[in-house]
Amino acid sequence: MMTKREFLSELEEILETDPGALKGDERLTDLKGWNSLAVVSLIAMVDERLDTTLSPREIAKAGSIADIVRLLGDTIVP
Amino acid sequence: MATCTVSGVRLAGIASAVPDRVRTLASHAAVFGEAEVRKISESIGVKSRQVAFDGMCTSDICFAAADRLLNDLAWPRESVDALIFVSQTPDYVLPATSCCLQERLRLSKRCAAFDVGLGCSGHIYGLWIASSLLVGGGARRVLLLTGDTHSYICSPLDRSVALLFGDAGTATALEADGSAAPMTFVLGTDGSGRDALIMPAGLFRNPHTEETAIRTAGEDGNSRSAEDLFMNGAEIFAFTLREVPPLILAVLQGAGWSVDEVDAFVFHQANQFMLQHVARRLKLPKDKFILAMEEFGNTGSASVPVAMSARLAARLRSASLRTVLAGFGVGYSWGAVALTCGPMVMPDVLKVPGSVVGTVSSRSE
Repeated sequence: MMTKREFLSELEEILETDPGALKGDERLTDLKGWNSLAVVSLIAMVDERLDTTLSPREIAKAGSIADIVRLLGDTIVP
Repeated sequence: MATCTVSGVRLAGIASAVPDRVRTLASHAAVFGEAEVRKISESIGVKSRQVAFDGMCTSDICFAAADRLLNDLAWPRESVDALIFVSQTPDYVLPATSCCLQERLRLSKRCAAFDVGLGCSGHIYGLWIASSLLVGGGARRVLLLTGDTHSYICSPLDRSVALLFGDAGTATALEADGSAAPMTFVLGTDGSGRDALIMPAGLFRNPHTEETAIRTAGEDGNSRSAEDLFMNGAEIFAFTLREVPPLILAVLQGAGWSVDEVDAFVFHQANQFMLQHVARRLKLPKDKFILAMEEFGNTGSASVPVAMSARLAARLRSASLRTVLAGFGVGYSWGAVALTCGPMVMPDVLKVPGSVVGTVSSRSE
């Protein structure tokens, strides 16, 4: 389990954006640095921290960061 | 397939070869930009790799490795009973490249020769086939050649493949030996992953047309044609996370080995980020986990023997090591073997000059 803030911090690190920059409702396609390398890093981070394998197809279908948080269900706590 | 154990086969030697022509990742900066190239390079763990000279085929590189290995072993050429060529970049659709190599290596006409069309898992499959021939197929000595020339099939405008792959060819010699330690294999296939790593057009399913050869920019900003290699890196990564840890645990269990009892883990050198992630998941000690991508890139079916030649040659020349070798990827196809090998013949990685290019079929001259 991790908090939503922790998840966003991990994502900020993957995207190389400033700490605290992400609010959690951004559209993925609007994010600078959101590319295939970022997708792979996200899958790795989730696998390591939450012991869950996100499917690339599900990530591709997700429109926003909030959609990905939803995919992770109750492993992400507020 | 369940775990299988093969007894009575010894690895006599391995020789790995690469073209003597280096291409650095920095040389791609003009296309992708310096910052992007640096970022990809740090992630995949590749700084440079070797690419074939114009006209140089996989078989040319494998020939150099095999010729050197046979000489170093002092095996009479007529003592080789079977030749297996594992590659996805053969000389021709037909005849089999192994037939061309039988003649070029001056092997006996009584030598069985055939090709196997596998990539990332190819060396493990090759070891399994070769050892099966030695145990049940009546062969006493088998030569296994693996390799690929990816530089011909990757679009230079596709960042998902252009910076990752290298060209290499290898030769592994195996012989029947009743006193050899048993080998334990685990193999598997999941063809539902065929689209994740594929050259979609150019053969019979989707024949070559003018259109299939045209490179167009996709949504991801990469430009490739239907005849270029396509790789969905995220799908391959998810596949690896799903299949490889259980594969390694199964082969360890089959051999009755603990992680501590293994001297070296040599996995297909797919992508350093991915390999390090898998190693962490399996809690494999860093000093036993072999990485050899920095100067070779991902060399497909050659990557396991190349890594052994580059990182373990000195030890394997003088000592016996317990190794776990694993290959996984295109197909999807995967395999692992728990293998005790050495001391054995193991030259340093050979650099193949451009002059080694073989003769072109007289029909095309």
